[in-house]
Amino acid sequence: MRQEIPSTLEEISRGQGPLETFVLIKQVPDPNSKTGVNSDGTIDRAKAKRMLNPFDRYALEAALQTKRQHGARVTAITMGPPPAIEVLYEAIAHGVDRGILITDRRLAASDTLATAYTLAQTVRYAGQPDILFCGLQTTDGDTAQVGPQLAERLGIPQVTYCEAFEIQEGILVARRAIEGGSQTVRVPLPVLVTVANTARRLAYPTLRGMQRVQRLMRDEAARAEVIQILSLDDIGADPDRCGLKGSPTIVAATEKVGEMGGRCQVFQGQPLPQLVQQLTQAVDLFRYTLTS
Amino acid sequence: MDSKRVVVFAEQVDGELQPIALELLGAGRRLADKLGGILSALVLGHNIAHLPPLLIGHGADQVFIADHPELAQYRTLPYRRVIVDLIKSWPQPPHILLFGATTTGRDLAPRLAAHLETGLTADCTELDIGPFEYTNSRDPSKAGFFPACLYAIRPSFGESLKARILGPWKNPQMATVRPGVMLPLPWDGSRQGEVIPVPVNLKPEDLKLHIVETVRNLSQAVDLSRAKVIVAGGYGLGCAEGFELMRELAACFPNSAVGSSRKAVDAGWIPYAHQVGQTGKTVRPQLYIACGISGAIQHRVGMDKSQLIIAINKDSSAPIFKFAHYGIVGDLYQVVPELIRHLKQAQEERREGANVQQPFQQRLPLLQRP
Repeated sequence: MRQEIPSTLEEISRGQGPLETFVLIKQVPDPNSKTGVNSDGTIDRAKAKRMLNPFDRYALEAALQTKRQHGARVTAITMGPPPAIEVLYEAIAHGVDRGILITDRRLAASDTLATAYTLAQTVRYAGQPDILFCGLQTTDGDTAQVGPQLAERLGIPQVTYCEAFEIQEGILVARRAIEGGSQTVRVPLPVLVTVANTARRLAYPTLRGMQRVQRLMRDEAARAEVIQILSLDDIGADPDRCGLKGSPTIVAATEKVGEMGGRCQVFQGQPLPQLVQQLTQAVDLFRYTLTS
Repeated sequence: MDSKRVVVFAEQVDGELQPIALELLGAGRRLADKLGGILSALVLGHNIAHLPPLLIGHGADQVFIADHPELAQYRTLPYRRVIVDLIKSWPQPPHILLFGATTTGRDLAPRLAAHLETGLTADCTELDIGPFEYTNSRDPSKAGFFPACLYAIRPSFGESLKARILGPWKNPQMATVRPGVMLPLPWDGSRQGEVIPVPVNLKPEDLKLHIVETVRNLSQAVDLSRAKVIVAGGYGLGCAEGFELMRELAACFPNSAVGSSRKAVDAGWIPYAHQVGQTGKTVRPQLYIACGISGAIQHRVGMDKSQLIIAINKDSSAPIFKFAHYGIVGDLYQVVPELIRHLKQAQEERREGANVQQPFQQRLPLLQRP
């Protein structure tokens, strides 16, 4: 890998030292895994295979860009049950400097508002970031809400749907996707950025990164220096604002999606030309080929 | 009387109301009537005095309008300031507050929800009002009976399930609604409504972000929403080249477009603009041909309102065969070329038929001769 260029003073946004980059990531159930799907169609999260939220890969790449270009120190933060440490290892293998896992039984059933509160407390505990990256959304919640809610809690501007960016003299210039086009914005740091899945793709982990992770997994003391595992008490969070208690919404009911009015007429088990002929006899497809 | 207020955020771009604004009014009207309340539209922008009559004609009882140069283009913080100030100026918060699940609504609504410390449900596909009784031994402080709470209904992760999400403990109960799902009311020019200007008091920290440039290239945009026929390919295509076949089939139909499932987009086979489904676009074309798409709920919510759905899939147990109208179980790489051949042949025959018809009509007078 290319030698990292040390950041010059001009590139540093505020205060002393290198740019502080935080990246917020989440472990989600793997939707392609067949294990952990209950008979009623719900997901058993304890049994399901787990993975790094695919959108967070773009956020990781963006965070690593600040490291390559500005020598930023990159901190990955995740919230979840103890196995969520796996995504911190994955982030470190890609070149992230340190990780923080906020884990606590009282976080169960957090909705986005409670999650954003908990993450805001964790960010405040962890330092003063110049820039925070989140994936646009997660694949399990699909809400895209936690990023903006966290920015509101931290009282800083946000750029959502970011596809590309650069930082110059403490100012972020970013291109964001909008309906039918894009928009370029300028905003001084600190800022929270949610990264779209049209942004730059994450490369493979580095050999050095993977070796570092192997060392951390073997050596408890070395791990404790790089990955902090925190509880609500450590970050000074109010338990009444976290988890089920701090969540203004609940999932009250799930219902099976009913089948549509007409039952599907399926053609199968015959030679192909017959199948297509049966279909075109049942439906006047030709009608759709005529103009207006 | 303590009238319940439903507020919808009416999105506009360069003075033009977005379709989602009218869709939200349609949904909001139904909710307000069910609550016995009023429907307010909230519109922010610059030089937008022409919009309130449109909003009233499409169902609003009241329009709150904030017209200010700094609001000309949407930016998170100025819009947030104006809406927060407005809601806090009311003696009580609205019962329900709705946004479109657009890049604007999904940017703005969570910030407001965090500021107002209230619940927000993302990307809803159905909304309703109904009663709810909450009992949970783990959290007795929230127990109670709520006669009229917002049912925010959305597809749930990886499951063929819809989740009903409720947050009756605090108003406003907020939701973002997927574009293209709710139906607008027909225009009624006789409707009367009130137009109320909203004061704009921005602070310097609201104006930190500058828009350098906005590019909207609508001609190049994939217009899935207007296509009459959509040919969509999924992970079953196996490779990016498979979309060539989808384009070829689509080319048989005028006003057609190529769609895709999320997996095919994630695989990098086709740009995101083609994605249909929960995290893509919602479409309701006259004909939707799904090739190599299993029909997971995330895809289904984006297309199941299509007038006619035809599924082609190798796996006869794929969920798509549960809600498509017609299906062929087979290898799409054999079925689709056969289908194309069939359609082309039919077109050819019609053209030949037209050629035959011409002389026949010319002959007609001869036949009529006694």
